[in-house]
Amino acid sequence: MLLRPLAALLALAAPLHAAEGTRISVTGEIIDTWCYFSGVMGGPDAVVGSAHHTCALWCSAGGIPVGLLAEDGTVYMVLKIEGSAESAGGDTQLNLASHQIVADGMHYQRDGLNYLVVEKVVTDNDITVENHLDYGTVPPFAIPEGER
Amino acid sequence: MIRAALILLCLAAPARAEAPLPFDLGGSFTLTDQTGTPRSEADPEGRAQLLFFGYANCLQICSAALPLMADLVDDLAGEFALRPVMITVDPARDTVEEIGPPLEYLHPDFVGLTGTKAELQVAYDAYSVEIKHIFDDPEYGPIYAHGSFIYLLDGQGAVLSLLPPILSPEQAAEILRARLAPAG
Repeated sequence: MLLRPLAALLALAAPLHAAEGTRISVTGEIIDTWCYFSGVMGGPDAVVGSAHHTCALWCSAGGIPVGLLAEDGTVYMVLKIEGSAESAGGDTQLNLASHQIVADGMHYQRDGLNYLVVEKVVTDNDITVENHLDYGTVPPFAIPEGER
Repeated sequence: MIRAALILLCLAAPARAEAPLPFDLGGSFTLTDQTGTPRSEADPEGRAQLLFFGYANCLQICSAALPLMADLVDDLAGEFALRPVMITVDPARDTVEEIGPPLEYLHPDFVGLTGTKAELQVAYDAYSVEIKHIFDDPEYGPIYAHGSFIYLLDGQGAVLSLLPPILSPEQAAEILRARLAPAG
C-alpha cells in the first residue's frame, strides 16, 4: 500500500545533485503529505480528494507541508505558493487543500526529492476527486463527533 | 515494499554538497541557548546540525519533526556527530529557563535557542520563516503556524539541504549519509 506513494516521491528524482530550477506547469491535487506517505490513515486512494479534505485541513493547519500530486503520480513538496513562504497552514494552502490546480512554477530536485515553488495558480478546479462516496470521511475522527 | 523503495533511494548516486542549494536560505545569527550561553549558527564542536523552527511544547508539526531529529542523532551516532537544534518561534514561553527541559527530554544533546524579538527575527529572515499566531489553546496556550522543514547545516552553519518532516527516519538518514559522507 505504501509502495505507490514512496515510489511517487522518488519518481523522476534520480539525480541527487542540486539542480538548477526548471520552469514547469503541473496539473494535480494539493495533498496532505503526512497522511499520503505515512499510510497511517489509509491507502493512497483514500487520503486524497473529498474523503480526506477535513483531515488535510487539520494537517496543514498543524504544519504539515502540502504537496502537489501530479497526474503522473509524481509528488512535489510545495515550498511556496504565490509568494507565501508558508509551506503549510497559510490561507492559500488551506483554501487549496484537496483542490485540483494547474500550477506554474519552478521545479527543483534535491536529495531525490522534488520541490516546487508555485509562482502562479493558473486554474483552481476545486475538489475534483469525490471519493467520499467510496470511503466516507478519512479518518472518521477528522470531524468532531458532535458535528458528523 | 517500503524496503524496495528505500533501496531505490540507496542505490541512487551519492549526493555531493558542492553544488549550490537552489533556495536562498541560511545566514548568521546570534541567539542564546538553554544554559544562557550565546550561540551562533556555527556548532561549537563543529558538528553537523539539524535545525528546526518551532516551540518546545508544540503539539503540532514539532511533535513529528523534533522526535525525528532526535532519532536521527541516535541512528547515525556511529557514523556522524549530529546536533539537533531548535530555534523558538515563541520566545515568551521559550525562555532560557524553560526551553531546555522539553527538548532534552527528546534528546540530551538538543540545543534550544531563544533571544530577543530582534535577534530571532534575524534568524527567521535568514530562513524565510513566517510565524502566525493561530489561536490560543485553553490548555496549552498560544498555537503558531511556522516553518515545517528541517534544515541540515554543516558545522559552520552553512545550509547543506532540507528535510521534509514527513520522511521516515530511514529515508532521512539516507539523505544525511549522502550529504555528510566525505567526498571521494
